[in-house]
Amino acid sequence: MECNEVMHALILFIDNEIQDEIQVQIFQSHFEECLQCLTEMEHERQVLTRMKSLLADECCEQAPEDLQARIAQQTALLASQMFSPTQIITEYRRTETTFNGETHIEIETTHEIRRDFPLS
Amino acid sequence: MAVALFPMNSEIEIRTPAELLATETVVERTARFERDAMQYTSQLYAAALRYTKNQHNAQDLVQDTYAKAFTSFHQFEPGTNLKAWLYRILTTTFINTYRKDQRRPLISDGEVEDWQLAASASHTSDQGKSAEDEVLENLPDGEVKRALQEIPEEFRLAVFYADVEGYSYKEIADILGIPSGTVMSRLHRGRKLLRTMLMDYAKERGIGGPNGM
Repeated sequence: MECNEVMHALILFIDNEIQDEIQVQIFQSHFEECLQCLTEMEHERQVLTRMKSLLADECCEQAPEDLQARIAQQTALLASQMFSPTQIITEYRRTETTFNGETHIEIETTHEIRRDFPLS
Repeated sequence: MAVALFPMNSEIEIRTPAELLATETVVERTARFERDAMQYTSQLYAAALRYTKNQHNAQDLVQDTYAKAFTSFHQFEPGTNLKAWLYRILTTTFINTYRKDQRRPLISDGEVEDWQLAASASHTSDQGKSAEDEVLENLPDGEVKRALQEIPEEFRLAVFYADVEGYSYKEIADILGIPSGTVMSRLHRGRKLLRTMLMDYAKERGIGGPNGM
């Protein structure tokens, strides 16, 4: 492996993004032989570690309490709306038949339950 | 004893998580959401500040994200990474809400090629290395965050997810909806930009010795 190839893929090595064990070995044997690349890699790794720790310390803003409260309220409201779409549609059908002076009344009732939740 | 609940002499019914979710009541879902998703409000808020750069909009973005997450919570596959799922919703909510008018392509032309040029850079001098180490040890508080907020959005988000959240390229690709190769390119350029800005800042303030770099 040439130095420029190592430098080219250094970010992948440092980020542990090289999945292939053999590839990782190739990098490591290059570092054993080439002090310049080893120094470069160690410097990059050290800078990245430092940057990560600075970033982690500074980019950890806490969500304001009122935001948490608003989200909780919103969740409760959405949950209540999930109940409300439940509709029960009731249909009555009245059939009156007169035959030979005899009246026959038939009442048919259907209930249709419409519910949007839970979704599948 | 769970075994005793199965009716005797009948086939044991095995229900998949999907079936369990389909029959989950609203009350159960709400409880599960509060238990599992609400613990990430601060992390989502910190991420939202990287998207919007403004506390007010960041709060709105987080709230909208939780609304979408709750109404589509049945689509979340239990056992997979919930925080990454929430970050994905945060991203789409941001694009739909705050970027509606800006017709920006997700991947700008020549992005990968640019990275290849940048990556072919040769070894840094020893002097440059020690100057950089010294600057990073002596930066005032808040300086890295300020620099991060100033780099372009696509680089900022890649750096945030990789270097603050510790996600892999593949995970970041899923969150941002871009190819892994683009993640690598943005990360590489984002980190470079950040370092350049910090070195420039240090030079102006005389941090890191009289020679600067």
